[in-house]
Amino acid sequence: MNHYEVLAPELVLLGLAFALVTLELLFPQLRKDLVAYLTAASAIGVLVASAFFANRSDSFKDLIQLDNYTTFFRILFLGTAALLAIASAHLVRDKLSNAGEYYGLLLLGVIGATYMAAASELLTAYIALELLNFTLYVLVSFDRKDPRSGEAGLKYILLSAFASALLLFGISFIFGVTGTTSYAGIRHALEAGIGEYRGTLVVGLVLLLTGLGFKVAAVPFHMWTPDAYEGAPLPVTAYISIVAKAAGFALFLRLFSQAFMPVISDWRWMVALLAALTMVFGNLIALQQVNIKRLLAYSSISQVGYMLIAIAALSHDSATALLLHLGGYAITNLAAFIAIIAFYNATGGEEIRDFRGLAERHAGLAMTLTIALFSLAGMPLFAGFMTKFILFQAAAQHGLLWLSAFGVVTSMISLYYYLMVIRQMYVLKPRDGDGRLRVPLLTSAVLVVLALGIFFVGIWPTPLFRAAASATRLLF
Amino acid sequence: MSVEQWVFYVLAAIAVGGAAVTVFARDIVRAALGLIVALLMTAGVFVLLSAEVIGLVQLLVYGGAVAILILFALMITRAREVTYRLDGPQKPLALLAGATLAAAIGVAVVGTVFPTNTDHINPVGFVEMSTALFQTYAVPFEVASLVLLVALVGAIIIARQEERQ
Amino acid sequence: MIPLDQVLVFSGILFALGVYGVLTRRNAIAILMSVELMLTAVNTNFIAFGVFHRPSLAVGLVFAVFVITVAAAEVGLALAIILRIYRQRTTANVDEVDILKW
Repeated sequence: MNHYEVLAPELVLLGLAFALVTLELLFPQLRKDLVAYLTAASAIGVLVASAFFANRSDSFKDLIQLDNYTTFFRILFLGTAALLAIASAHLVRDKLSNAGEYYGLLLLGVIGATYMAAASELLTAYIALELLNFTLYVLVSFDRKDPRSGEAGLKYILLSAFASALLLFGISFIFGVTGTTSYAGIRHALEAGIGEYRGTLVVGLVLLLTGLGFKVAAVPFHMWTPDAYEGAPLPVTAYISIVAKAAGFALFLRLFSQAFMPVISDWRWMVALLAALTMVFGNLIALQQVNIKRLLAYSSISQVGYMLIAIAALSHDSATALLLHLGGYAITNLAAFIAIIAFYNATGGEEIRDFRGLAERHAGLAMTLTIALFSLAGMPLFAGFMTKFILFQAAAQHGLLWLSAFGVVTSMISLYYYLMVIRQMYVLKPRDGDGRLRVPLLTSAVLVVLALGIFFVGIWPTPLFRAAASATRLLF
Repeated sequence: MSVEQWVFYVLAAIAVGGAAVTVFARDIVRAALGLIVALLMTAGVFVLLSAEVIGLVQLLVYGGAVAILILFALMITRAREVTYRLDGPQKPLALLAGATLAAAIGVAVVGTVFPTNTDHINPVGFVEMSTALFQTYAVPFEVASLVLLVALVGAIIIARQEERQ
Repeated sequence: MIPLDQVLVFSGILFALGVYGVLTRRNAIAILMSVELMLTAVNTNFIAFGVFHRPSLAVGLVFAVFVITVAAAEVGLALAIILRIYRQRTTANVDEVDILKW
């Protein structure tokens, strides 16, 4: 019954996090970017080891499930953390202190994220969520020299605490009416008949959805996202936009598909409403942004809208589409952010107008960023198009055609603000005095790989699709 | 009505009063004191519900640690000396939200027949609780210790003052 | 005997007051205090549901313990951040941090 190998990768990560912190303590003269590469290498090591768990089905005390769903997300989170560690190397070395803790926190956050995806019980899921949140609170506030960092951290922690409280109150009501906190137990209790307690159940669900809505930054709960994104150090922004969102959706999907299916008619319209609001407003507000971090913040908010469609249309197909979209989204966002980080390291610029004439200053960087932005907009041939197409199709098949229509229209609107950036890079000439940029070799290599990944998913999504399908099969 | 109910009403009333002071008071130190009152009275409610262990933990952690921390923070940031607008422009909206929420909860809860709701309290045994905490829910327990670790490390990193170079 | 309904109404009122506080207060520490109220209400719920069940549910109490843990850690971390901002801006107006548009 105590199958510790289910927890093994996270235990290794924990040891690694400690090792990284102690490393900096014992060898303070160690080059900081070496710590980064060590982190990345070990994360990839754990990733490869977790891949061996594929196609196994196990659980630890019914709290943590080991199945393809967990493995899928483990790989996603570890890969993201590894690449972000590489991307952070120069930034942490030059601008931030406490490098050992930075990388240690990166890994601890991955533990939280993985357990959010793997939990089959509400207490475990909640605590894992808080672990991820806490690492993010610290990472967002990490830059001592930038006053925006502390402010972002403050706003983030206050609103996130508020959201957690709402989420918990909802959970407490669900616990009250079902008498259990395990997903399977909740499903059984709900199937046995709702009868007299629908009112409390609905209030509980509303609060639960509100809390989760804050966590994934759906409209109208998105308020903290742009500030947190703008104030945090760039790699942390990337971390939030990929890992926190993916983990939130992993939890969302597993919880609702395994626990709340019997009452889907009660909450489907709520999620659909959230999806519609998020798609519309996320895209509309993005049109006005001038800072690239904020632009990407609103872009990721609107992406959340598309992903919520999959939850509203809960089924094996839409869940597969969601995981597929998350995979593509991770690769694309990584490409975009790492390109922006490289640009920032070289020039210190964050506003969209700083990207003037990037095509002449560094063709590769401009090209990668363009590929990523086209993918986010959903242009054909790129990952974004394929994953969105499958998503909208799955939703339309389950009676949510109007939502899919919304998705298509707002996707087209989003093209405008992505094109704004591309225009800066390609159409405008660089300002006088702006010379060519230097980008480290490793970063360039990573960017090439990611760009190829975007095309790979866009043209031949089958392998990723199959992985996603096998991951979600157990949920239904 | 039994003695227990009376005691509950008294504790609840004082707690709600304290909470009201926390959210409505102009003086922020008074608000902090209101919070302490509310939290301590709730600890009493926990004891009434036969969850003495949690009541004790509530007393120690909130009354002991959290309250002191908050008061220290208020002192260090000289919050009392500042006169600022306590009420933002969202006050009527917030009132509406709060009232609706309370009403929704009240209506939902009073009209609900909870499954296996007995009218008397079954205390949770000590052994039962220990088993739950350390065996059945071992993973959250370990992860919670990580949460504390992150909070500790993070607080030090964030609040530490740089040594003068 | 204390009816379950009344305990839940009590926690509901605490919760609603907390929500009002978060939405209205401008000082960061005051917002934090309101969140603590909300979390206490949550704990009351968990404990009540745990003991008013036949057989009693230990998980209710265990959940409450973890919520207290997380809440305390949150307060510690939030106050650290508030302290940093206070020092950086050398001002006591913790509520007027607005470099980033709110």
